[in-house]
Amino acid sequence: MSALTPTQDRMRIDARDKVLGRPLFAADIPLRGLLHAMTTPARIAKGRITAIDTMAAAAVPGVVRVFTHEDFADLRVTPATLGGNQPGFQPLTGTEIVFRGQPVALVVAATLEAATEAAELVEVTYEAAPFTATMDEPGAEPQPYETAVEAGDAAAAMASAEVTVDVEYRHPQNHHNPLEMISTTAHVEDGRLIVREGTQNTNALKFGTAGALGLDPQRVDAVSPYIGGGFGQKNVLQLQSVLVSRAAMALGRPVKLVMPRAQLFHTASHRPASRHRIRLGASRAGRISAAIYESDQENARYDHFLRSAHNEAVSRLYGIPNYLGRERLVRVDTNPPGHMRAPHEHPGSYAFESAVDELSYALGMDPLALRLANDAERDAISGKPFTSRTLAACLDRGAALFGWSERRAAPHSMVAEDGSLVGWGVASGAYKGTMCPCVARLRVQADGLTRLSVSGHEMGQGIRSAVGAELMELLPIRADRLEIRLGDTTAIDQHHTAGSWGTGGAVPAVRAVVGRFMAALTELGGPLRPGESVHTRLMALKRPVLEVEIEHLGTSQGPDALERMRRGGVAVVGPEYPDFVSFSWIAHFVEVRVEPTTRRIRVPRVVSVADCGRVMNRRTATSQVAGGVVWGIGAALREAAEIDPRYGFVLNNDLADYVVPVNADIGAITVDLLDIADPMLNASGVRGVGEVAMVGAAAAVANAVYHATGKRIRHLPIRIDDLL
Amino acid sequence: MHDDDRPPAFPLTRRDTLRAGSAVAAASVLPPLSSAAASTQSMPLEPGATTTITTVVNGEPITIAVDTRASLLDVLRERLALTGAKKGCDHGQCGACTVHVDGRRVAACLTLAAKVDGREVTTIEGLGEEAALHPMQQAFIDHDALQCGYCTPGQIMAAVACVREGNATSRERIRDAMSGNICRCGAYVGIVAAIEDAAAKMGQG
Repeated sequence: MSALTPTQDRMRIDARDKVLGRPLFAADIPLRGLLHAMTTPARIAKGRITAIDTMAAAAVPGVVRVFTHEDFADLRVTPATLGGNQPGFQPLTGTEIVFRGQPVALVVAATLEAATEAAELVEVTYEAAPFTATMDEPGAEPQPYETAVEAGDAAAAMASAEVTVDVEYRHPQNHHNPLEMISTTAHVEDGRLIVREGTQNTNALKFGTAGALGLDPQRVDAVSPYIGGGFGQKNVLQLQSVLVSRAAMALGRPVKLVMPRAQLFHTASHRPASRHRIRLGASRAGRISAAIYESDQENARYDHFLRSAHNEAVSRLYGIPNYLGRERLVRVDTNPPGHMRAPHEHPGSYAFESAVDELSYALGMDPLALRLANDAERDAISGKPFTSRTLAACLDRGAALFGWSERRAAPHSMVAEDGSLVGWGVASGAYKGTMCPCVARLRVQADGLTRLSVSGHEMGQGIRSAVGAELMELLPIRADRLEIRLGDTTAIDQHHTAGSWGTGGAVPAVRAVVGRFMAALTELGGPLRPGESVHTRLMALKRPVLEVEIEHLGTSQGPDALERMRRGGVAVVGPEYPDFVSFSWIAHFVEVRVEPTTRRIRVPRVVSVADCGRVMNRRTATSQVAGGVVWGIGAALREAAEIDPRYGFVLNNDLADYVVPVNADIGAITVDLLDIADPMLNASGVRGVGEVAMVGAAAAVANAVYHATGKRIRHLPIRIDDLL
Repeated sequence: MHDDDRPPAFPLTRRDTLRAGSAVAAASVLPPLSSAAASTQSMPLEPGATTTITTVVNGEPITIAVDTRASLLDVLRERLALTGAKKGCDHGQCGACTVHVDGRRVAACLTLAAKVDGREVTTIEGLGEEAALHPMQQAFIDHDALQCGYCTPGQIMAAVACVREGNATSRERIRDAMSGNICRCGAYVGIVAAIEDAAAKMGQG
């Protein structure tokens, strides 16, 4: 197999289809006889339904059926229902209301207009109960702290440190808002239930739907070849998924529900609010000897968002020998939070990298120099080596590209010609190097067609381009007739795609299936000659087609991982492996300008340098990093859900009021990728990049705001009123 | 591939069957919804109050009875199978549904279908074709000005309008003129570069 050389420049594989508007997303599929569904959301945050009157709704012309909890009482809630790992709450199975906006009726009609009108006419009578909307309200229930990371004796080292900081940061509730709203379309065909949903986890959709409806999973297909952005909101079965499937089965016609954006703010997952107290201890020379990091993260009452993991990545940023990380969940009456891009690593790095910045000023040391002075050779937490440790190289290259050496040290000391305050900030980021099991089937035909079927989902991160690149690097095939099938349980068995394990799982699997293919081809007619394509060889052999399939495990995984995947579960490995730990690295350099009168904050330029191992497609990886930076800017300066504690309601539940970055908010973003293969982690030398892209970006913005203004704002987002 | 000797997979209860039976009977008297694009005849009747409009969509004249409440976006997507225009908010806040009406960009979700009576509508499906991409489409590929592709049809329709409006004269003006189109993947740097590039090729840079 060929060496891990840099890959050729190739355009994004599905770009041509996308600029033509051709990809069919879940809600785009034309189906004969399609019915439209709409949900009625609960108007209380907690309590129970005492009566539902559906007469007026049912009388709307075109309404086919109004479903209530009486129709769905037999749905089973299984561990698989919400994605395989957590016990789930399924709305519309009883009278209990556990969060505001919970669906209480499902109207199905011949047209969307009729369904929408009727859903508003469903009359629900409630018996309301007291509730707690946020973790700052009385009645919030903190769980006990759990020790997440422990090394050395942090308390003793802190007590003897020459310089310390002790600071608390707050992160608000954020909402993913992928532009493709969450939808489900289901129909029965030839005795099979076919469910289409923009999901990063067709496996959960297949097995979870089957479990909830009491069906044989082998009779359920889940299809999601294109996803209009996921960011983790499409990780699991949605609250609506099985309701739509059940309605389609009951009515014997296809049913589609596109949940409105305003409802999604209450029914889809979100990044929970969190608090972070960080204590750092260092020598006067700038060597960090101790860190104690405690976090609180909001959670629903009835569901487990596993636990938080704020410490996992930041404890590896520097060589801190004495480290204690403790985390706890705080339960309130909300819908379940979930994973949102860099779910723990983004808020964790915002807090930790802000604290490191505060330490640099306490020490009178350049923030970049402090970070470089605390580089690690081995992982101080586990004592194991890193597969690749390139944070210092990212920092050095980023500093050179940005021109960091021109920076004046004192806050509030750099002013632009127009009088704007100029601030330069830096922050580091890391994200675990993860892998998952993966199945791949490669079919090459003499007529020029190549079809690669592989476990993985395309949400825009470019996994088609990454697996396609590995295939084309290794095998002489016709690029213009390459079909890649993923995100579809009818194509091949699927595994959840998230946590930056998509590339790490799928690309080495492609390398393995190509290896098997070449062995089969060689057996038939000797090795390929230079310049000979596989299609020509098959033609010469008078073989119309050659197809091979392999199962591939993540590094150090055993066959049980594959079995778990085949049963609908999630089986992920990393960042700790038996002999090493693995992380992707990034350094962000940000310039902000603060207008002297209005205090409006702008971000004219950012430089981000990342190391994600071997770069499979420089264009898509660069776009991923730039997108992660946009997310960091959004988190730092724009995004927060405003919860009304009186009603448990997200007040700004649309895209006009939940403000995400628009084009005018974004200036120049320069991205560089080190492109150093990581063969210790896997045979393709790849790690993920989609998550690490965002890690540290918000901290770099916040640190730049401090440098510009001398004001340390310890919450996000930082807005004009914070700086007045 | 699948084993058809298995027992029936969908054990519906008797109650479901009865209820579903009556619902299907009611539903089946509705004419089947057409999945074919732009057809001038036999468009299905809608159950609510309707109005008949005559319009030109991507160069094809059509006459269609539409629900008076229906948005242009929903008629394009649900009646005409033109799904390139996307629904991202249904409130005119995201731009994913941007199409041209008489050459001007509009949010199709905020435009009542009845309003395009006598007007010309162009969607992404009518902008360029496989063999002859519009320069803006090619520029979006060249600058990787997209990720998931969901906002892309709206971005491209807005970008073409941005150039035609004379708003592509600087990066700053492009950014302002394109700020009604959210790209949650964050491809803004590529989008601005693509518009600068295409504007030059469209002769209006």
